[in-house]
Amino acid sequence: MDLNSPQNVTRTRLAPGVHLMTAPAEKFNRCRISIHFAFAAKRETATAHALLPQLLERGYADCPDMTELTKRLARLYGADLSVEGRPLGQNHDLMVSVTGIKDGFALNGEQLTREYAALALGVAFHPYLVEGAFDPEAVEIEKAMLKKALEDEINEKRIYCTRQALREFYGNSPAGIRQGGYLEEVPGLTGAQLYAAYQEMLRTAQVELIVLGCGEETDAVCDALLAELAKIDRAPQPLADWIFMPKQQPVRKTETYDLVQAKLCMVFTQNQKAAREELDACRLAMALFGGSVTSRLFLNVREKMNLCYYCGSQYQSFTGSMMVNSGVEPANAKIAEAAILKELSDLCEGEITADELEDCRRGLLAAMQGVEDTLGGIEGWYYMQVLRGEELTSVEVSRRRLLAVTEQTVREILRRFSLSVSYLITKEGEVTL
Amino acid sequence: MSKVQSAAARCAADEWKTLPSGLTVIVRPMPGYSGAHCIYGTRFGAIDRCFRLGEKEVTLPAGVAHFLEHKMFEDEDCDAFAKYAKTGANANAYTSFDRTCYLFTATQQIEESLDILLGMVGHPYFTQQTIDKEQGIIGQEIKMYDDNPDWQLITGLCECLYHQHPIRSDIAGTVESIAEITPEMLYACCEAFYAPANMVLACAGNITMDTVLAACDRAGLMQPRTAPVVQRLMAEEPMTVLQPELTVKMAVAKPCFGIGFKEQPLAADDVRTEVLYDILCECICGGMSPLYRRLYDTGMVNPGFDGEVLKVDGCCCFLFTGEGDDPAAVKQELLAEIKRLRAEGVDEEVFTLCKNVKYGGLLENLENVDNSASQIADLALAGQTVAQQIEMLAGLTKADADAALQRVLAEERMAFMTILPVDGSEE
Repeated sequence: MDLNSPQNVTRTRLAPGVHLMTAPAEKFNRCRISIHFAFAAKRETATAHALLPQLLERGYADCPDMTELTKRLARLYGADLSVEGRPLGQNHDLMVSVTGIKDGFALNGEQLTREYAALALGVAFHPYLVEGAFDPEAVEIEKAMLKKALEDEINEKRIYCTRQALREFYGNSPAGIRQGGYLEEVPGLTGAQLYAAYQEMLRTAQVELIVLGCGEETDAVCDALLAELAKIDRAPQPLADWIFMPKQQPVRKTETYDLVQAKLCMVFTQNQKAAREELDACRLAMALFGGSVTSRLFLNVREKMNLCYYCGSQYQSFTGSMMVNSGVEPANAKIAEAAILKELSDLCEGEITADELEDCRRGLLAAMQGVEDTLGGIEGWYYMQVLRGEELTSVEVSRRRLLAVTEQTVREILRRFSLSVSYLITKEGEVTL
Repeated sequence: MSKVQSAAARCAADEWKTLPSGLTVIVRPMPGYSGAHCIYGTRFGAIDRCFRLGEKEVTLPAGVAHFLEHKMFEDEDCDAFAKYAKTGANANAYTSFDRTCYLFTATQQIEESLDILLGMVGHPYFTQQTIDKEQGIIGQEIKMYDDNPDWQLITGLCECLYHQHPIRSDIAGTVESIAEITPEMLYACCEAFYAPANMVLACAGNITMDTVLAACDRAGLMQPRTAPVVQRLMAEEPMTVLQPELTVKMAVAKPCFGIGFKEQPLAADDVRTEVLYDILCECICGGMSPLYRRLYDTGMVNPGFDGEVLKVDGCCCFLFTGEGDDPAAVKQELLAEIKRLRAEGVDEEVFTLCKNVKYGGLLENLENVDNSASQIADLALAGQTVAQQIEMLAGLTKADADAALQRVLAEERMAFMTILPVDGSEE
């Protein structure tokens, strides 16, 4: 028995660039079928790919009408159809996923799992077309929705600040492609362009079929996927590699609005590509700096200095970067920025007690142990390994690696980070950075 | 109950115990799961602003329940997060209008984490100094919500709909109101509402009743306790609307709007009507409704447009919120749709499908330790069980919805709020 492989999750290659990941997931009341399409993001098709999820989610050839599709899902006891696009460094991942209750809970003996499979495959491979392009009426409606969403990003100040900071950080790098779409390009998009972008995705993407808790239906879902892919002239392309942004003099920018609380987003670069084998050490470094309630940012910037309600750090392995987000009193923005930098510096140069390191490690170990307690947790944990180009390994392997991380490794990782961008959204007339 | 319904109810095989101290303990063991989630909740929330405790009448400024939730994590030695750090549990807490809950998720040292949970709530410790310290952090939490248009719509609508009811105040209060908080107030709240008889301990996942009872024993909760005599005091609330319209300006890109309807308050244990109202919202403007489709296709609303029911002691209202260029036109469309449904009745297919979705949602909650414990705690605080919910859902009919429509969503009890954009600038 290979102790490094996950006990209940298996991954097999079905065809070039096509894999199946399965888990019996018997303890759950629901099952889940997901189809992921991962590919290198391109500037010229970014807006089309931003719109595709909305178009696919509103209907497909067998059920083109959005309201009817909602009713169909309701008939399946509120099964959840989700089509989502997300950026992963230089790559983009489009996921079509259906999650619903298992057949045994159907009140009228319906074969629900079969319906979920038909729905997921239908949405992914049979969009509703009019004269060889996406339905122009649906395209216009969803374009209007995307336009609104892009215009509205200021409504969520925290998200807006983060996006502005990342735009400044990545600049023209491939990781800076706005995978949420470019506002100015939305009006010009046509059904034909969208269909071309969709077909290109089907042709070149790395495809991962994830089937959790579907029992005997798993093989049928697998065969159906292969039958769909056989109709496509597939030429799967490898995913783009990890990237990093070179160290630079910190750029500080401020925008002002009529608001009450200032938002501060600081982006740091590691100045080198992240190393896969260091991932668990990075997790511990983040927990210590700003990723937990035992972190320095939480204990000192929030609890001791009372500067904010939230102040946390996140690590992004695909781009070797780290982001710190905080909401502060406008007058305290500079003080908060200095305090955050001091906490990083103290960890790099000062004492790290064994107690605080172990507290952070303990929290991470406990959280890892619960990864397989949700369908989303299983899919997220193992599919991220796939996207990182790793062999599938059990959670236990990560736990063992985490146990071996030393204070010195954590310090070395944190020492690599230097501030690249500090972005502030604040009140009119208040201090800038 | 059908065979399949029974299968669903079996998943919710909760064990219930009422301890000599008066505490209600509910445990849902979930075989095969690594984690356990425990919630210790009290029927004390933001709307509890005035009460009589024995001979003493206590009046609280807005935001005390939430403030108390923050302070409950501290004792003489250290804060509870530091203790949880030694067990690896992930702890948190939340306050709503009518309850406060303390919780943790753990995959190891579950007994120790339970001791921390029961200990922190059982041994409150407040000083003016620690209260003053917390005001900065909570002040920032309040200000974070001040910039959130969705939250401002809910609080703004409640301010419009109600004359006296404490639902008018934000859960966290204001920077000014929390400055009035004293240790004495917090101790009085603990005495009145943190008595075991007013609380529920709900646990789900990799945990057994024996484990939980042993922890309760260590915390002294197996000993009889005298429940304090508490009388909640609430001013008379007329059925009229205080302010039918409100317009404010914020840094938003497009206008945001809210349309609220004031209804007769429901009895505390009337979960049936609450669920019926929820389904009614779906029938009026949910994803299967013709109204939603019309508004969506014409770009009058974004996908976030929806309706919800807010029900707490002495207050019940429907709140419809969304975003669009012409809020007044959406209001007219909504009123026209309510009028049509009142005359024609709700669509039977949509009504049945809404019930289907609710049933699926109950099952979904049963498969996740966090949601399971939350579901048990929520229902227990309302005096219900999952099995009762499943049975109640099966019994709801279109006729119930049609009858409800004749008495709710009256235009004369409506308030309309708009948030308009102000311009931003860049330096």
